[in-house]
Amino acid sequence: MRHLYRALSVLGGYRAQRVMGVATLAGLAATVVIGLFVVPPDATQGNVQRLMYVHVPAAWVMFMAFGVVFIASAAYLKTGRIRWDRVAAASAEIGVLFCALTIVLGSLWGRPVWGTWWLTTTAVLLLIYVGYLSLRKVADSPARRAKWAAVVGIVGFIDVPIVHQSVVWWRSLHQQATVLRLGAPTVAGSMLATLLFAFVAFSLAYGYLMAVRMRVGRLEDRSAVPVSSRPAPRARRPRPADLPTSVASDSHA
Amino acid sequence: MHDVGYVAAGYTITFAALAGYRWHLAVRMRRARRYVSTVTGRPPGWRRRA
Repeated sequence: MRHLYRALSVLGGYRAQRVMGVATLAGLAATVVIGLFVVPPDATQGNVQRLMYVHVPAAWVMFMAFGVVFIASAAYLKTGRIRWDRVAAASAEIGVLFCALTIVLGSLWGRPVWGTWWLTTTAVLLLIYVGYLSLRKVADSPARRAKWAAVVGIVGFIDVPIVHQSVVWWRSLHQQATVLRLGAPTVAGSMLATLLFAFVAFSLAYGYLMAVRMRVGRLEDRSAVPVSSRPAPRARRPRPADLPTSVASDSHA
Repeated sequence: MHDVGYVAAGYTITFAALAGYRWHLAVRMRRARRYVSTVTGRPPGWRRRA
């Protein structure tokens, strides 16, 4: 756990953050160019299939973000360190963003292909994590907030494998898995390569947003601490010579 | 033709959402920095020397 947090701290460094930001921007721009102009359209769905290059990576980042919430929540309950709560809060916020994007993009893809807007178990997942973020706003003390949020972060993760497996378990309008399945992927080579590239670009975007959000979280935690409980700036520890004689002699006793 | 509209809408929403969230984080960071610097009396971006 300590090594994982140290790795996150290195990624959150100012210079690493700048590099990751530039790489994210380049990766996302390349995804747009390749996804819209380079890869051929699908034989049956036509151009609308190009939404796959943003919908599926958004869903991947959503699963990853909620997975990080689960791990960080468990780490907080085990160690009681507030930094794990900060990781969970940051990841939940980003996960909610990508979850909403997954639903919107899925709906935009589903409407012309199936003739209906798409709204599934993913909406339940969105509600769970919106509830998680709301809970963080109502708790009155940081320790209580962290404990409640960690419990919800662990229990809420139960829905993640259900959402992932729902396309297999329930034969709905949603197509079956084409990449993560037993046997070879059933998607064309150029489409698969573009999809994998988009996975990398979106994962970079997640890492970059996590780094920035962690920095914001640290600053907000500092600004939330009451002024009276902070040491005064530039305060120095009193030397024995500054102390009254009785106190100084007590400290040596 | 309608298909292109759905695709354009999807890509626009995706990148507008990402850019909007990044902007939102920048606003929050600026606000928190200003608060911390007001309370501590240190200029924004001040770092303790190692």
